[in-house]
Amino acid sequence: MTIDKPGTKNAKSRNTKSRNLTRRSFLETALAGGAAYVSLAHDMSAFAQAGGSIVIGHHCELTGGFSSWGYWHNKCALAAVKAINDQGGIAGRRVELVTEDTESNPATGTRKLRSLVQRNNAAFIVGSVHSGVMLASIPVATELKTVYFSSGEATEATGEKGTRYSFRTGTDTYGLAAAGAPWAFQNLGKTWTIISPDYAWGHSHYKEHKAIIEKLGGKVHDPIFVPLDAKDLVPYLTKIPQDTEVLFSVFFGALSVAFYTQAKSMGLEKTMKMYSVAGTIEAIAPADLKGAAEGVYIVENFPRMLKYKDDAFHRDYLKAIATDDVHGREAGSDKVNAKSHSWQSWENLFALKAAIEKSGWKTKKDDQGVIEALEGLEMANSLGHAQGSKLLRKEDHSGIIDCYISRVENDELHVKKTVSRTEMAQMMPVRFDLSKQPL
Amino acid sequence: MTDVVFALAINGLVWGLIIALIALGLSIIFGLLDIINVAHGDLFMLGTVGGLVIATATGSFWVAIVLVPIIAFALGLALERFVIRPTIRQAALTIVTTFGLSMMLQEGVRATYGPQPRRMAPPIGGTVPLFGIDYDIYRLFAAIFAALALAAFFVFLNRTKLGTRIRAVRHDPETATALGIPVARVCGITFALGTAMAALGGVIAAPITTVEFRTGVDILPFCFMAVVIGGLGNLQGTVAAAVLLAVMEGLVTSFANPTIARIVSLAIMSGVLLFRPHGLFAGATR
Repeated sequence: MTIDKPGTKNAKSRNTKSRNLTRRSFLETALAGGAAYVSLAHDMSAFAQAGGSIVIGHHCELTGGFSSWGYWHNKCALAAVKAINDQGGIAGRRVELVTEDTESNPATGTRKLRSLVQRNNAAFIVGSVHSGVMLASIPVATELKTVYFSSGEATEATGEKGTRYSFRTGTDTYGLAAAGAPWAFQNLGKTWTIISPDYAWGHSHYKEHKAIIEKLGGKVHDPIFVPLDAKDLVPYLTKIPQDTEVLFSVFFGALSVAFYTQAKSMGLEKTMKMYSVAGTIEAIAPADLKGAAEGVYIVENFPRMLKYKDDAFHRDYLKAIATDDVHGREAGSDKVNAKSHSWQSWENLFALKAAIEKSGWKTKKDDQGVIEALEGLEMANSLGHAQGSKLLRKEDHSGIIDCYISRVENDELHVKKTVSRTEMAQMMPVRFDLSKQPL
Repeated sequence: MTDVVFALAINGLVWGLIIALIALGLSIIFGLLDIINVAHGDLFMLGTVGGLVIATATGSFWVAIVLVPIIAFALGLALERFVIRPTIRQAALTIVTTFGLSMMLQEGVRATYGPQPRRMAPPIGGTVPLFGIDYDIYRLFAAIFAALALAAFFVFLNRTKLGTRIRAVRHDPETATALGIPVARVCGITFALGTAMAALGGVIAAPITTVEFRTGVDILPFCFMAVVIGGLGNLQGTVAAAVLLAVMEGLVTSFANPTIARIVSLAIMSGVLLFRPHGLFAGATR
């Protein structure tokens, strides 16, 4: 809403208009207002007849270390809610999205999750992409008996720390290792070193990748864990063993930029292949790294370039979130989409829509039906699931999706290999069965 | 192994000199105003962001390295006048005030400049072989520039009229007032100098590290360690402590986990607080 200052041209114009109000203009205004009211009332009445709005909580990193990702998760969730409401809501009921900022902090995140459920009466939660927040929040969501979709990658969320209430449509460290490690082992090298932040996500990647590389007959050196507050990475980079063929880096945000910058300045890419996952370059354009990421192999969950999944759904999705189809930049700004993760904040709302409508959910008492509908939910490639067809596997509540191994070439992410969801399902057998847990 | 020890010791020295520049700003502000400036790391962050903005706009890193400290000096004058002065001499209140300032600076940059981290390309490219590793030439330049800036500051403090006034106010503000020194103005200039030094450190460090709204959060603890070990308000002690800590961390890192190196630094700080609460160096107190 804008307010014109007194004395400005607009304000004067409006004053003049008000002085010139005639019976005709009054009737025109009144009729237009009446028509708008009737239309709005009809719209609200249609939603009201279906039982009022459904409140969905969004547990999002709007500030703090993950805010460059959170911005996109928020944007995608808002766009999804708009799209759903424009199509008549969920089961005829308007969706109301309530967003709380986790501040990228697990303690704050759990407090905000309680606020979403207990103060804002959120029936379902589209949750955090921050692994620490996610892992701290799942026990709280379970205690509050509330379905919690997370998009962080620590595999524990759909493994040993998962519950009947925790779901994830995207990949985790288990899935990313399954998607990329065998190909990288065959094509990049057999002796690996993993460098990552000293935090749940990095540890989880180390554990999952080590298992696969060693199973394939490769060698994995001791991991190099970097404190989250490190500024100078040279002391850590000098620890990389000389015989390393593949340097697997797992960083995010500022540490990621620092890693690529400092590794490049030390010329590490001359003696070893650089391999990583999309999280390392989320919300960052390779062009902004000024060549530091050139040649790096990256496992993506959703190709940044439209041409590697060129269909109407992908195009319409990019249009809905105002993102360009090459670099993932936002229209009118230089922000770069955290595209390999933020799609989940869009798709999770459509997954919930499908499950709510399939189960006939009306109130919290009917949550069991939604959970059972989500377990094993098949999602077809569509605008609601623009990343592609996928399965929300019944046993471990994990998304089984297509993955892409890309390489940074001329500041663009070019896909070199697509790993289909069928291959993914074969390479990541079920390890936990959450569907047998009591509700 | 010996090569790595030397390489990491030199890298520690390089990083220590940059940190010393930032920590010196923190120390001079505490020494004169008794303010524990929790926002000092964010002033460093403003230097990194301002440096990138100006370098991008003008196409020259060298313009940024000149303009950023000048702009930061002006900002420092304004901050001292409108944020610091109303709470001065009330230590607890200044912590709250500067903490609030810190949040405002961070969120202000996040809201306007954006949350995404960025890279500033170094103005000097290339590497030199240094004890078995390819070492970034820019880092050596940054260390030399930081050392020159530190030397220039001490020359200013000891050889100019304004420097003499700053020392006089630090030593005894009441007598300085009686002698006609405009204490309030000297305090403002000192705070602005500390701000400019933090921002200058930001411009120098930007091509080595990352430019984003939280860059200053993690650098502050190391600066505080240097100030505590060097002696609160002891300027030479702060510089020496920053360099020694960074070299020591480099040396420890060559044969142990870098996290262990940081633990050693914290242990040293605890020891100093326990046995020499006024700092490691002689005459540490004001």
